[in-house]
Amino acid sequence: MMNKNNNSSKFSLSNYVFNPEFSSLLILIVMFIITAILQEKFFTLKSIVRNINAFAPLILLSMGAAVVIISGGIDLSAGAALSLFTCVLTTVMKKSDPITGVYALLVTFAVAILVGIVNGIGIGYLRIPPVIVTFATSYMWLGIGLFLRPTPGGESVEWFRIFYNPGMIEGISPSIKQFGSMIPPALILILIACFIWWVISKTKTGRYIYAVGSNNDSAYASGINTAKVQMQACIINSIFIFLAALFFVGQNQSGDARMGDPLTLRAIASAIVGGVALSGGKGSVYFALVGALILSFVNKIIFFANISTAYQTLVSGLIVIIAIAAPVAYTLYSKE
Amino acid sequence: MVVLEAIGIRKHFGGVIALSNANLRCYQGRITGLLGANGSGKSTMSKIICGVYQPDGGEIRYKGKVVKYRSPSEARRDGIAMVFQNLSLVADLTVWQNIVLGNEEAKSFFLDDDSAKELSRKILAQLLPDLDIDKKVSQLNPGEMQIVEIAKAVSQNPQLLILDEPTAALEQAQVRNLFSYMRTLAKEGVAMIFTSHRLWEVMEICDDVTIFRNGENVASIDFEKEEKDPEKIIGYITGDVQKKKVEGKREKVTGEIVLKVKNLNYSRSLKNISFDLKKGEILGIGGLAGQGQIELMHALAGAFRSVRGDVELKGKKIRLNRPLDAIKEGVVFVPGDKHLEGLFLTHSVLFNMIFPKTGLPRHPLFIPYEDYRKECEEIVNILSIKAPTVDVPVETLSGGNQQKVVVGKWLPFDINVLLLADPAKGIDIGAKRDLYQYIVERVQENNMSVILYASDNEELIEYCDRVLIMYEGQIVESLEGEDINEDTIIACSMRVR
Repeated sequence: MMNKNNNSSKFSLSNYVFNPEFSSLLILIVMFIITAILQEKFFTLKSIVRNINAFAPLILLSMGAAVVIISGGIDLSAGAALSLFTCVLTTVMKKSDPITGVYALLVTFAVAILVGIVNGIGIGYLRIPPVIVTFATSYMWLGIGLFLRPTPGGESVEWFRIFYNPGMIEGISPSIKQFGSMIPPALILILIACFIWWVISKTKTGRYIYAVGSNNDSAYASGINTAKVQMQACIINSIFIFLAALFFVGQNQSGDARMGDPLTLRAIASAIVGGVALSGGKGSVYFALVGALILSFVNKIIFFANISTAYQTLVSGLIVIIAIAAPVAYTLYSKE
Repeated sequence: MVVLEAIGIRKHFGGVIALSNANLRCYQGRITGLLGANGSGKSTMSKIICGVYQPDGGEIRYKGKVVKYRSPSEARRDGIAMVFQNLSLVADLTVWQNIVLGNEEAKSFFLDDDSAKELSRKILAQLLPDLDIDKKVSQLNPGEMQIVEIAKAVSQNPQLLILDEPTAALEQAQVRNLFSYMRTLAKEGVAMIFTSHRLWEVMEICDDVTIFRNGENVASIDFEKEEKDPEKIIGYITGDVQKKKVEGKREKVTGEIVLKVKNLNYSRSLKNISFDLKKGEILGIGGLAGQGQIELMHALAGAFRSVRGDVELKGKKIRLNRPLDAIKEGVVFVPGDKHLEGLFLTHSVLFNMIFPKTGLPRHPLFIPYEDYRKECEEIVNILSIKAPTVDVPVETLSGGNQQKVVVGKWLPFDINVLLLADPAKGIDIGAKRDLYQYIVERVQENNMSVILYASDNEELIEYCDRVLIMYEGQIVESLEGEDINEDTIIACSMRVR
């Protein structure tokens, strides 16, 4: 028999290098170096903590966006859901009563699951195109958020700062304060999200998310409940958004029905810059994190490079296009 | 022992009746062949048995019980597995992930990947031992994909295995492996349903055959009791007993060279391809599957931008870097994979037929629908495409009829060179004859030239004036006249000679 596969092992290394994910990592390293040059004190603990805090919400949302996109969907309601969660949190909590913080956590988590289920029903069971479903639900979340919080505000219990900076909580033990200033809670939230995905990726659900996104019909023919898998992807996304909402309320001690809107498309763009294919089935959730870092560094670089404010948005748009086009060009070139 | 019995199955899709009264019986440890023209309902029958479709009427008895499956997974739980014709693999997962897909075992909470790999290796050892199970399915060639598909169905230890055209994408050596594996399974008591358009395969592997025509089973032949008579079987399939054959080779081709290809190179798949094509010639491209034949056809059709080499058409140098370049020069391409390259499945037959015309530079601003409709209806008649009207979506037609639409859409063109990449893949014997008959007539009337790549050597032998054999991206042999026969082609393909 003719053997046509004998050269497959030879190319395994190049397969790894000629990969959109690899190129996004390169871009991140370049941006990291540029930022480090431009910003003084980039490597101080304080600056690192501040950067992690600034990047955390986008990172969490981009990981959620990656899960949904890999499953073959897309979520245009992520920002609105984030806003909604902050509104629910700050409505349930009463500043004077610490126990309401626990209630708020439970209620909002339930809301998060529900948000995922509603999106999942639309995408998976009703088979409405994901863009339409989540565009519609984004207005539902906004509407409910405005009903709860017509203007930004609300109350938060004091201990909720533990999701932002434990050092700001009065009467807390010095060791926790010390720990909180070294390892920002935002980083722990990101690690929790990574851990959740790590566990899921080891189970059927993780494998099926890729299968369904890659080829829905084949997955169905293989006996997979594709609607359920798409719903699970939406719920995972919703949980990541929930984590981001905890950070926001910890930081601002208030809720806002519109604060998340700009993050929606940035989260999707981050996932794509990180090498997640919009067509579904391809890419890595962890690399969405890389994409989110790239997009965040873009803003920092523009800020520190003294570009006139009039051009900042334009330049950031151009850099994002380059960041998205580079992996594509890279894979096309390497295939030749 | 009868494992499965289907009685009086009826099924229609919209206005098209796929099955009117279909009966089938399968026995433990026996391989039942399912034969029939395209649209005769054998694919529909298989899909009803394994739960993809639900019948409108009739009864299915599996192991003595009446069953009604609502999905493939329900059927699979009962031990009925199907190897799909349009592959059910997920391209972005690896080979072993695909084999266990939908049927993963878990060790405590996490997936048990080691045992999945072990199982995959065990099954593939008998089918295709060289396959790397960590490769993604998107990196495999069609033959390898088909084998993974079979391995996937077998991995669930089915008691009834349905193989719908499993050999269409396979090379001869792979077919032999598959057949010996099927015999092993039969010895273990697995009942099998096997469909193929290649009659010799059915006669070699099957213990009995059931023949379908127009949604009904018209005959059953038990090979243990009756002799294997291909003429009789073809008679049942086509419905007419007398034998039709495409008119033999035509009068000599002229000496004029239409297409001159020199040193064509593309990536790793084509190396220094040079050949001449004469006017009125049918030039065959043969060889083992995946030796660059498909790439050569694509390159000539202008599908690769970075192809290098000189191509002259009637003495004039032409560029072939875009499909439009080729179409403008009258070099048109009929792809083998109609789903990927040839059709807009959800659009009507009419729309698919006129589409290439609307892409031409000198097309009138407003589409002359009435003229086109007449022309389209004419083509539908000529190729005897089975469609209620030209306005039905192409996806409602059967596979063979879809392929005819792909061929048909180029026919009104002023064709210099017709490129046919395995045009008869998945077409039944009757439709295949119609198709080639029409092409041969066109060649005679208009003196157009044809380059034909066929995975089935029989087609090359029957229709080609000259056959080029490809091996690893190069042309290694040119056969003419008496040399064009099964033995020589296979010997050259395997580089034995």
